[in-house]
Amino acid sequence: MGDLFQFSSSASLGKLTGRRAYNLEELLQLIKTCPDSSIFYHTFSTFRKMREVQVPFNNDFAIWISQNLAEEALPEKLTAIELAEHNTISSLRERIVAIIENHKQENPQVFDRTAAKPFYLCDVVRIVYLTDKFAYNLKSFRESLNSISVDSIYFHFIESRLYTQLQTDDFSRWIEESLGMPELAAKIRNIDIHIFTLEGLRRKLTALIDSYT
Amino acid sequence: MTLPSLFDYREVVGQNVVEELTILASYVGNRSIKMVNSTAVGGGVAEMLHRVVPLLNELGVQTNWEVIKGEADFFDITKSFHNALQGKPEHFRKETFDTYLHYNELNYKDMTFDEDLVVIHDPQPAALIHWNQNRGNKWVWRCHIDLSHPNEQLWQFLRSYIDQYDAAIFSSPLFSPQLAIPQYQFYPTIDPLADKNRDLSPDYIDSVLEKYEIPADKPLVTQISRYDPWKDPVGVIQAFKMARKYVDCRLLLVGDKAADDPEGERILQMVKAAAGNDPDIHIIYLTKSIASEINAFQRASNIVLQKSLREGFALTVSEALWKRRPVIGSAVGGIPAQIIHGYTGVLVHSVEGASLQIRSLLNQPDFAARLGDNGHQRVKDQFLITQNLKRYLLLLLAIERPDETTIFLD
Repeated sequence: MGDLFQFSSSASLGKLTGRRAYNLEELLQLIKTCPDSSIFYHTFSTFRKMREVQVPFNNDFAIWISQNLAEEALPEKLTAIELAEHNTISSLRERIVAIIENHKQENPQVFDRTAAKPFYLCDVVRIVYLTDKFAYNLKSFRESLNSISVDSIYFHFIESRLYTQLQTDDFSRWIEESLGMPELAAKIRNIDIHIFTLEGLRRKLTALIDSYT
Repeated sequence: MTLPSLFDYREVVGQNVVEELTILASYVGNRSIKMVNSTAVGGGVAEMLHRVVPLLNELGVQTNWEVIKGEADFFDITKSFHNALQGKPEHFRKETFDTYLHYNELNYKDMTFDEDLVVIHDPQPAALIHWNQNRGNKWVWRCHIDLSHPNEQLWQFLRSYIDQYDAAIFSSPLFSPQLAIPQYQFYPTIDPLADKNRDLSPDYIDSVLEKYEIPADKPLVTQISRYDPWKDPVGVIQAFKMARKYVDCRLLLVGDKAADDPEGERILQMVKAAAGNDPDIHIIYLTKSIASEINAFQRASNIVLQKSLREGFALTVSEALWKRRPVIGSAVGGIPAQIIHGYTGVLVHSVEGASLQIRSLLNQPDFAARLGDNGHQRVKDQFLITQNLKRYLLLLLAIERPDETTIFLD
């Protein structure tokens, strides 16, 4: 028997800052100077909300630029950032800043545009908590997958890497390290989260595990 | 009728969502809340508190609700405050502010504030904090109105009290001013088990249509809003008439008589004139709307419109989305928070845009159904009362650690 896996979950309480941007230069300054938690809110939190309704954009910066600045290439580049590749907010912030600054070099005219509706910088308090769900082998893990919330799935598959600072999700790590099933772990690790809603991710995980039991 | 219990929400939002609420509540422990507002009946705040207070108690958070008292002169003043905070030009005399403070002080003397968290709703009781300078608990001001363009004189007066709070809560970043205290965002929410939103039998829906003599022979396009120029009912009729050249359909306008809206009758006459004798336009003016009938109108509709020119949060949009209706909404106020264009509904900016979208959605039922399904999911994620309960639980935990951005509970 491997180590016990206790499922956690997370919830967020949105905060308002009163800070706004009307053009890309102002947005860039907000991104450079805002707290890490604001970057988290406009990327990870948005990704969590947007996946369920399958909106193509996965962060608020891309959504605002696309809807307010008549600019499509930059939102595409920002949307293509793979959140799962970033296990620190500072690396994610650097990536966002680099993309916008590179775009400025190539398309300076976009920076002259002013939006009628501003970008509102928000912030967030994250609360991470333990649930009463446990797994101690693949069978109990599979059973718990059906009963945990999508917030719990999201936390272990996407968000927790910010706390573990690892390049992998909690599920595949536990299955590899505690259950000794590297092949299944690799398949879980390679799931493309951009294709699935969180309920879809639950079904995909379940199907993968079923193919091993 | 017995009010639904937390248990009943499991069927609607999922068992695991309710389970996680109880887990969060266990971390909150025996903390308590006092809600304070200015009316026990009428209006969205009282409606929300009637549901949230018992459900928080069911979660184990001792929550009580007190309503401040005042004579007619106080409520005349707070009504003028409400309008001025939303931008109406007005000059206030010192005596007006003194009367407002007098009633706040009388209420302070009549109340106790021993709870861990005191939530003061809207401007009417906002000055209560003035007499609680040495408090050991946390006070939060929950503002339900649009403060983006407040009357400056009034705002300067109220601001001196708001700054004394530990935090403020607003419905949207659009509505919030710059403040020195932390600001939290609580979206308004709907109750999926209330008469206005719960499931209805097809027979009941048919009976409501029959009662109001609305034939079910053509697709139904509906706007439910009071007859107010900002809701643009005449624009809705224009959009409908433009669309009907290409798609056969009926228009249903439903509005009730608001006690504080003397303009309603006049606007209604304008709406009737715009409709003419068109047999496909049904205009219903209710003295007092019945929630289950509004629910039936929404469920009977093929499209729900909210073509406002200016809006607060417009929860009518969430009500319709919850019923999986495709919604055409103006890109104003809180509507874009609910409608992600092309995914959870469509946003429009003109009569012509609304007309085109009526044609588009009636001719593409699969796309319209997808918008309705996505809209339902968006409401489930963000705009249900269970989310409101969760936000209060999170607030209780977060407000005691104002400097922490990530809180690990164990």
